[in-house]
Amino acid sequence: MPKSRRELATKLQELKDKTQRGDEKAVAKQHAEGKLTARERIEKLLDSGSFVEEFMLAETPSTDFGMTERRKPTDGVVAGYGKIEGRTVFVFAQDFTVIAGTVGAAHAEKIAYCIETARKIGAPVIGLYDSAGARIQEGLDVTRAIGKIFYQNSITSGAVPQISAIMGPCIGVAAYSPALTDFIIMVKGTSQMFITGPSVIKEVTGEEVSMEELGGAKVHSEISGVADVVAQNDEDCLQQIRKLLAFIPSSAFQEPPRTAAADPPNRLIDDMETLVPEDGKKPYDVRKVIRRLADNDEFFELKPKWARNIVTGFARLHGRSAGFVANQPMFLAGSLDVDCSDKASRFIRFCNAFNIPIITLVDVPGYLPGTKQERAGIIRHGAKMLYAYSEASVPKITVYLRKGYGGAKQAMCTREMGADQVFVWPGVELAVMGAAGAVGVLYKKEIEQAPNPEDMRRQKLEEFTERFTGPFEAVSKQYAHDAVKPEETRMRLIQALEMLATKQEERPRKKHGLMPV
Amino acid sequence: MTPVLSPMVGKILNIQVKAGDKVQEDDTIIVMEAMKMEIPVVAPGTGTVKEIKVAPGDMVDSEQVLAEIE
Repeated sequence: MPKSRRELATKLQELKDKTQRGDEKAVAKQHAEGKLTARERIEKLLDSGSFVEEFMLAETPSTDFGMTERRKPTDGVVAGYGKIEGRTVFVFAQDFTVIAGTVGAAHAEKIAYCIETARKIGAPVIGLYDSAGARIQEGLDVTRAIGKIFYQNSITSGAVPQISAIMGPCIGVAAYSPALTDFIIMVKGTSQMFITGPSVIKEVTGEEVSMEELGGAKVHSEISGVADVVAQNDEDCLQQIRKLLAFIPSSAFQEPPRTAAADPPNRLIDDMETLVPEDGKKPYDVRKVIRRLADNDEFFELKPKWARNIVTGFARLHGRSAGFVANQPMFLAGSLDVDCSDKASRFIRFCNAFNIPIITLVDVPGYLPGTKQERAGIIRHGAKMLYAYSEASVPKITVYLRKGYGGAKQAMCTREMGADQVFVWPGVELAVMGAAGAVGVLYKKEIEQAPNPEDMRRQKLEEFTERFTGPFEAVSKQYAHDAVKPEETRMRLIQALEMLATKQEERPRKKHGLMPV
Repeated sequence: MTPVLSPMVGKILNIQVKAGDKVQEDDTIIVMEAMKMEIPVVAPGTGTVKEIKVAPGDMVDSEQVLAEIE
């Protein structure tokens, strides 16, 4: 006797209710590990009550290796769409309480669907990862399904923002999905990412290492540079995603959201003078400068503990979103090296893809010298910055705080690299090399033959500095649009951003450029 | 024991702590000079300074151990 529509509806509802309640024991275990469940995470991430779940009753078709008994609705990932601050987003959250969140073919199809649909409708896609890895019981079908995720991640790159939060293990080949997205947030203590696990490493190399030492949040935020943000716990992680999303538009064809600007645009920054010491030898924390320039002192820093000689992140100026790139004199004298070139160029390309203006604060002594850097390929990596800045057609504003020398100056977006507005502070020193070094080469003979070489050196240094390196050279030869006082910098940046808001700049037609990756 | 490593090739300018001092993560321990700039070398973690292995004027290599913190 076939069941009536009403009976079937009741049965389906029961199944859905049971799925939403989840397995009590597994949920308790998840909580005991300090983790929220996939459903709790989605609830906290999205605007209240906005989540629409899709493919809830999807299950693996596999019957091998005991999967008939183990299979469950959702197939270990909760997926669908909802809203963040009223904007539509797609979200998928791997559910460790269902088949350990392992990635089966049905599971992977759901993820690929989310990314593909987000791209079609022009909405960000957010992935919350927490999985024991690929479900090997399903054999080759799994690798094929995971391949579909990689493909969707890759072709979606630059079309809509993709944000990944690692909230548990994300291991083996599955770790490449977040790696193909724009941002990775890791939860301290409970998240790990690696390609080959501790047991394989032990077998092959004999090396003993824990999961946390191999791929915990500390490793990826300080050594490998894989993670952009470290969150203290699940709740913090979900808040960070909301914060990050507030700076970026929903697709490459939208402007970033603009907030009501409570912080006055004409505000002078009286303490800017003291934040940046006049003596070029003295270091300072450039993040403080960025905060003081920004609305309400707010700066969302990315990769804060990796390649610390350059600072990258988002802030607002009179409500407009902007990406900051700044040399950090606190670390390696703010010089450019392999890792910081990687960090900056990736960030610059993200800003350009999503219509976010780039503000570059320059105080750079040069490239970090040494055989280590040359052998690590500073030529190849450093070229990325030149490429990324030149490629970027969004508004680009450069401010010279103290110094810019040689090739490193070019890598920090000079006017000839396409900066739309260039400002110098009054004490600036711009040169092909440091004045002392230049004088040593140019006046070698005069200094050696002078009755008092030290006096001669000092005199030549003074002449050279005034003639070639100061603010007058920069403004008279149109290297900079204007010299601005430190306290007026915020005001001038806001004016320039407003003027540049309608900027359009075409690039030569081609399939795509060949960034020196 | 956590080693405090030199971030780059340079000269030791001054030392801000002595053995036995308690330090917090990111406190400046030693100031170096390199690329015509003063470079603060900070504590990699919170603890007690066990030993200072360099003196002002010393030339140091990149990743050389400058001090030990326990």
